Amino acid sequence: MRLLPPWSRAPLLGLRQPAAVVAVLVTTAILACAVASAPLFLSSARSAALQQQLAPQCAEAAWPAVTASADAPVGDAAQEVAGAPVAAWAAVGRTAEPSLTVGSTANASGNVQQGVPVTAADGARLSQPATLLWRPDALAHVEVVDEVAGTGVWLPASYAQAAGATAGGTVDVGGTPTPVVGVYTDLFDTVPGAYWCDDEPYFTNASSADTPPPALVLTTDATTLVDLAVAARGSLSAPASVPVDGSTLPTSRATELDELTTAALDAPPLRGSGATRDPRLAEAADRAQVLEGGLRGPVIPVAVAGGLLALVLVAAAGSFWADRRATEVRLLAARGVGPVPLAGKAALELALPALVGAAVGWAASRLLIGALGPAPELDPAAAAAAVGAGVAAFVGGLGAAAVVAGLRARGTVERPLGAAPRWPAQVPWEVALLLAAGACWLLLEGRDAVVSQGGVAQVNGLLVAFPLLAVAGAAVLAARLLTALLPRLRRWAGRRRPPLFLAVNRWTAARAATATLLVAIALPVAVLGYTATLTASSRATLDAKVGVQLGAGAYAATATRVDPDAITGPDGTTVLRFSDATLTGSADRTPVQVLGIDPTTFAGTATWVDSFAGSPLEDLVGRLTRDSAVVPVVASGVPAGSYELRLGSVPVDVEVVGTADVLPGRRTADPVVLVDRSRLPEVPPSAGSDQSVERWTDGDVAAAGAQLRDAGAVRVTGTEPADVQRAANFLGVTWTFGYLSALAVFSGVIGAAGLLLYLEARSRARVSGYVMARRLGLSRAAHLRSLVLELGGVAVAGVVVGGLLAVGAVAAVYRRLDVDLVRPPTPLLDVPWPAVAGTAVATLAVAVVAALYAQHAADRADPATVLREDA
Amino acid sequence: MTGFAATGLVKRFRRGVETVTALAGVDLAVAGGEFVALVGPSGSGKSTLLALLCGWETPDAGSLQVGAGTDPGGQGWTELAVVPQALGLVADLSLADNVLLPARLRGGRSDRPGDPAPLAERLMADFGLAHLADRYPHQASLGEQQRAAVARALVLRPALLLADEPTAHQDRGHADRLLDALRDAASDGTAVLLATHDEVAWSRADRVVSMRDGLLVEGAPR
Repeated sequence: MRLLPPWSRAPLLGLRQPAAVVAVLVTTAILACAVASAPLFLSSARSAALQQQLAPQCAEAAWPAVTASADAPVGDAAQEVAGAPVAAWAAVGRTAEPSLTVGSTANASGNVQQGVPVTAADGARLSQPATLLWRPDALAHVEVVDEVAGTGVWLPASYAQAAGATAGGTVDVGGTPTPVVGVYTDLFDTVPGAYWCDDEPYFTNASSADTPPPALVLTTDATTLVDLAVAARGSLSAPASVPVDGSTLPTSRATELDELTTAALDAPPLRGSGATRDPRLAEAADRAQVLEGGLRGPVIPVAVAGGLLALVLVAAAGSFWADRRATEVRLLAARGVGPVPLAGKAALELALPALVGAAVGWAASRLLIGALGPAPELDPAAAAAAVGAGVAAFVGGLGAAAVVAGLRARGTVERPLGAAPRWPAQVPWEVALLLAAGACWLLLEGRDAVVSQGGVAQVNGLLVAFPLLAVAGAAVLAARLLTALLPRLRRWAGRRRPPLFLAVNRWTAARAATATLLVAIALPVAVLGYTATLTASSRATLDAKVGVQLGAGAYAATATRVDPDAITGPDGTTVLRFSDATLTGSADRTPVQVLGIDPTTFAGTATWVDSFAGSPLEDLVGRLTRDSAVVPVVASGVPAGSYELRLGSVPVDVEVVGTADVLPGRRTADPVVLVDRSRLPEVPPSAGSDQSVERWTDGDVAAAGAQLRDAGAVRVTGTEPADVQRAANFLGVTWTFGYLSALAVFSGVIGAAGLLLYLEARSRARVSGYVMARRLGLSRAAHLRSLVLELGGVAVAGVVVGGLLAVGAVAAVYRRLDVDLVRPPTPLLDVPWPAVAGTAVATLAVAVVAALYAQHAADRADPATVLREDA
Repeated sequence: MTGFAATGLVKRFRRGVETVTALAGVDLAVAGGEFVALVGPSGSGKSTLLALLCGWETPDAGSLQVGAGTDPGGQGWTELAVVPQALGLVADLSLADNVLLPARLRGGRSDRPGDPAPLAERLMADFGLAHLADRYPHQASLGEQQRAAVARALVLRPALLLADEPTAHQDRGHADRLLDALRDAASDGTAVLLATHDEVAWSRADRVVSMRDGLLVEGAPR
């Protein structure tokens, strides 16, 4: 018979042990998934950060754009400026969308004035100048009021009315009589749509409700606009942008587009022309980079911790292989084969499943991050890094499995029977983890747990590393201490009924396995409890902070002076906000934010957490309606007492009748004062205190805005939680804890895999013992009870230990996890009891199912076969 | 009579497409107090016969009377004790706990009169296991494990004891001690059937029966 060489025979031999193959495959997959997920997650977070920053902006914010401009260009120079950006994009192989505007002009004396002067047909110069705009399809995106054929300009309806112009008439634009070929509905009177998003500043005026911007006059073609610009000595601006979809943009593509923009600016039509680029995409990419940099701190240690956990599992699978191949490896070892060749044999036999496992793990991480990560778009570099991580997982995992398999195989024959465990097994290595956790804590003492860089909140990596190291070290130490008590427990169980006696003896006989299983359960429970609680707490804190800033779920506001009491709606409350207000007591004058509220509806809508004050909000607001000579107010940030409140120049004597640590509607660091607005005197515009009317709501902000408009507001803005969070950018924090939660679930998978390995590793001895014990008189029910006690007992101990560790870790950390130091309140604690209870129940359920599985496996055994095999 | 009586036992196994007849009509009776050695080459059907007598296999034909019943699987350890080839020690229990396990599962307590604990201690001492009492099976040699399995079989003074090669891993001295213990048990009324290749055991038995090709004949093989 021809013998195959070992490198071809070993992989086939390995396949004869399906349990060992599955163990190595699954554990290597877990390892590869752990290490490959880190670069993929960071890339996903980077893409999502970019996309989320672009999302609230106009679509054009994601478009690479260059702008050529010229002040008062003449002749062909104007045409060259107008055409240069498109030509530059063409030079780098891109088709761009052009646009032309004239936003200002130079008068005869050379002074620049806003807009282009327009004179009506009757020769009267309109008080409102115009912005000239041409875009290829602009006329297809307006509501036509009137039109005639030909080239010329289109006027907004209100402007045409002011000019007394109609389609077919003429106006003088910057000194040039120009045919009016169309009239369109003013864009601010329509829902203009995404097409006009980037041009909104040309037809709305967000900063003031009273001063209208120049009228937006559209030209039918580029030539008309250029001719008018030349004639009016206008400032010609010629942007051209390349449309891209910002909602699916990864950062690598943003970088490419930025490089492309640089190339376009360097192309001959624009080189040296002073043309500029649109910075929004690059700024968003930079900010995404900052966010990703902040995530690296916590994510890398988490990934390393997960990888090490998984590596231990792979090593355990190697040990399992040695058990399954015990007969052969003992024979080889007895013949003098050393641990290195045995490890080599294990490596050859396990290479195939390890390779498949690494590939499966990589694919799983790719799928999981794509499906569950912050964004599905990943950078090619991250995908390549993940492949590298998968290869490293294969090499590292196979190496660990082989080394442990070799050592265990050799150890079975080298060690005398009944010998005490070797010293490495007795050294409390976990103390090193606890010392490392202590070092992290000491380092953290001198640093902020959450820092803000460029407006991006970032969790300090130490804040993640400390509890993970502490939990891991404490879990192992607790397992070591608990299992040290097992011999005593065994003596006690010697006087108990068979199920308890057998269960305790199983724990004692396999102390290391019991301790490992205990850690495998306690660790995921602790990490899950810790991450779930911190995630819920930081979410609750963030919501409370945002709620405090907004005042309620959302609000619509207007600077138009409308009567707050005229605003009605089924829900919500109206707040009159005064800026430029001060509170003067016996000491200095203090700037304050004054909210004139309606006491009957305020408490029902405003954000409130009981920790904000010693009294409920209803009680505090109720004090505002007391009869008193001075106006009662409730304040945060100032003590109770009498004060003079000045709303601009209007003085009001007030008394602080209630205080709170935090009051809803706090937008700055200044104290907040709540007052019943019906008790306030009239504050005219001349008093110098800016007022805004806000409609707070826990429902639809659009409905709140409509209520303001119904009351006569002209310009209304809506603000929702997403707007606040976007501005402050807490994505790094939420994603950090999202990743930690994923780690917890991942740890649970590790725990379950560990449980299966534990069961499988002991199945042969268990089945043999069971079959004989049945003959000795053990009932099936008693055996099942012993299994439930054995696995359920470890599960209960694991849940208790894990729960205690989670409580300790949360208590140590949560007060430091203030995601936004500027905004109140300080961190809130929110324990997700359903998740905690679910974890405990799931753990116990897994243990019971595992016990049933083990009983089923024992029941299937054929006694004659089992007891005929060699002992 | 205590012990057992087997008549016309037939057992066949499927091995692929082939049917192998392990027992081709075995008649054997062992009475209480009788020590019978069952001999024969490997594959002759000894272990199959023991498996039928233990109730781990069911015969395809023939009848079996074990003690007062016909179902050996329903017999307690006091009626029918076994030393299987694989020993069947519970890996998670010490050797002492293994030996006492039948008593524990029967509900025995060490403080009751007639408790098997003293006997267990004596057996372990006789078999050279006293100093290994707290060791787990995997911490003991195969011979030591085998002696523990025999002690476990004897600890409740069973009416019938079936042992499959109980001296296979013993040196001569320990093998003799095991045979002495089995001989003593037979003297106390236990019916002992010993499957063995050990020719010394044949000489200690009251009777020797031989198996060849699934059939049983009286006397040692020639």
